[in-house]
Amino acid sequence: MADSFDRKRLAPLKDTVAIVGVGETDYGADYRGAGGKAVGKGEARVDHYTLASRALKRALDDSGLRKDDIDGLCTGPTLSGERASELWGLNPRWSGSGDAAQCIIEATMAINCGLCTTVALVYGNAQRSMDTAYGGARVTGGGITSYFYYAPWGLTSQGALYALFFQRHKLLYGTTDEQLGAIAVAFRKHACMNPNAVMQKPLTIEDYMKAPYVAEPLRLFDYCLINDGGVAIIVRRADMAKDLKQKPVMVSAIGWSEENVDATQLRPRLKDFYHTAHRGVAAQVYPMAGVTPADVDVFATYDSFSVHLLASLEGFGFCKEGEGGPFVQNGRIEVGGQLPCNTSGGMLSESYMQSWNHQPELVRQLRGGLGPRQVEGAEVAQYVHDVAGKCKSIIYTKSA
Amino acid sequence: MATPRPIRSMDPYAEQFWAYTQKKEFRLQKCSDCGKFRWPPGPTCDKCLSDEAEWTAVAGRGKVLSWTTFRRKYFEEYPAPHTTIVLELDEGPLFVSYPVDVEVAKLSEGMVLSLRWTDGQDKFGEYNLPVFGPPSA
Repeated sequence: MADSFDRKRLAPLKDTVAIVGVGETDYGADYRGAGGKAVGKGEARVDHYTLASRALKRALDDSGLRKDDIDGLCTGPTLSGERASELWGLNPRWSGSGDAAQCIIEATMAINCGLCTTVALVYGNAQRSMDTAYGGARVTGGGITSYFYYAPWGLTSQGALYALFFQRHKLLYGTTDEQLGAIAVAFRKHACMNPNAVMQKPLTIEDYMKAPYVAEPLRLFDYCLINDGGVAIIVRRADMAKDLKQKPVMVSAIGWSEENVDATQLRPRLKDFYHTAHRGVAAQVYPMAGVTPADVDVFATYDSFSVHLLASLEGFGFCKEGEGGPFVQNGRIEVGGQLPCNTSGGMLSESYMQSWNHQPELVRQLRGGLGPRQVEGAEVAQYVHDVAGKCKSIIYTKSA
Repeated sequence: MATPRPIRSMDPYAEQFWAYTQKKEFRLQKCSDCGKFRWPPGPTCDKCLSDEAEWTAVAGRGKVLSWTTFRRKYFEEYPAPHTTIVLELDEGPLFVSYPVDVEVAKLSEGMVLSLRWTDGQDKFGEYNLPVFGPPSA
């Protein structure tokens, strides 16, 4: 694809919008259940909208804004924007939908176009209590074709596709299971410093290695959680973001590049590790924010599987291609290390909010005062969305 | 009775691919204008946007790129452990299948495997499934 984005038009958008409020549901408490009565699989008592509503109310409270200040709405993929607006009594002047990074990019564009000033980005997912399937016979259509196309041969599940990715990485670069395991161990360590995380029990590399394979070479702890939750983020025009309840966190760069050609036959996944998309986004976000990977204080990546981190660290230039394995070892990606990654525990150990939970965590890291998991002096935070080649990234910075 | 397998994703182009398998013919669409082979089957050449294509017999030979072994049962028809592979066919496309007549521990990067047929059926009817094993000497 031609390198056709216009750096000169992108550059002035730096710091034009800010995150002024974030809200999340009680992932851990909801998972364990009040009074020890956890909601089991298929025992839904709430729906996606309930969880989204709770998160929205908390994000508004966090920002100090009122519901009537909202004039734009972006909803995650489980929600209908129309129904959500009705439910929350909103008549937005603009609305969008998508994954978390996509919604931040869309909101940045809409605000800069002058269509609206204050956008609520809202997500909710009752996937555990509603027993959502991400593989097997119940997945027969919709979504990404490679997730169900090869069922006649017995290939199914997103996990198996990332297992193929990791097996290829092992074959080409000699990456070891212990190296991959360092990712799950680090994220769990972070979760244990986060009272809202679902997982609170420490995980050692020995525990990791002893856990059963699911789709070999991936083991149980390479897989994300399935839990219920909601997330909301309030994005506002930067000049209107001062003097609110929280110090604003700036959206300093946005980037987007997709790698869909031959995706069903798994070519970009196995022949490129999606690095073409990563490089395309890196070329946008680092110049726009005026930083390099070396300036990133705290990093988060989409982590439905541990493998995602290897891909994005290599693709964005934190290490050379094929060197992700050694890079993630010896505490480098832990709080206190060179590049703390997924400091809330991520989707592996905090909450599987399909990356929505990564945004509040990065915002909190830049606000500061996060207790034991605070990355000292954090000023630049990067989120990388790397899902089956649809890559986006946001760079957040601390406001001056 | 043919072996029951998890359901195929069916559309007008997949239908034609599977119809050829009933005659044990392994054919992929080849663009009539630019010659690019495509998989999975579909209406358009992604290189030149032509909708003219011929179902062209391919060699049924490919090199192993990767594999995964399911240690947990996802389909009744495939008890664990079940190993699936991805091959790069001589004609270009990558092809997902499963290995036969070769131990998983013996699989290696770039290993050449060739086409075998095994039977299958689902609600759309009976067909033959292309699987891959060591080339016969």
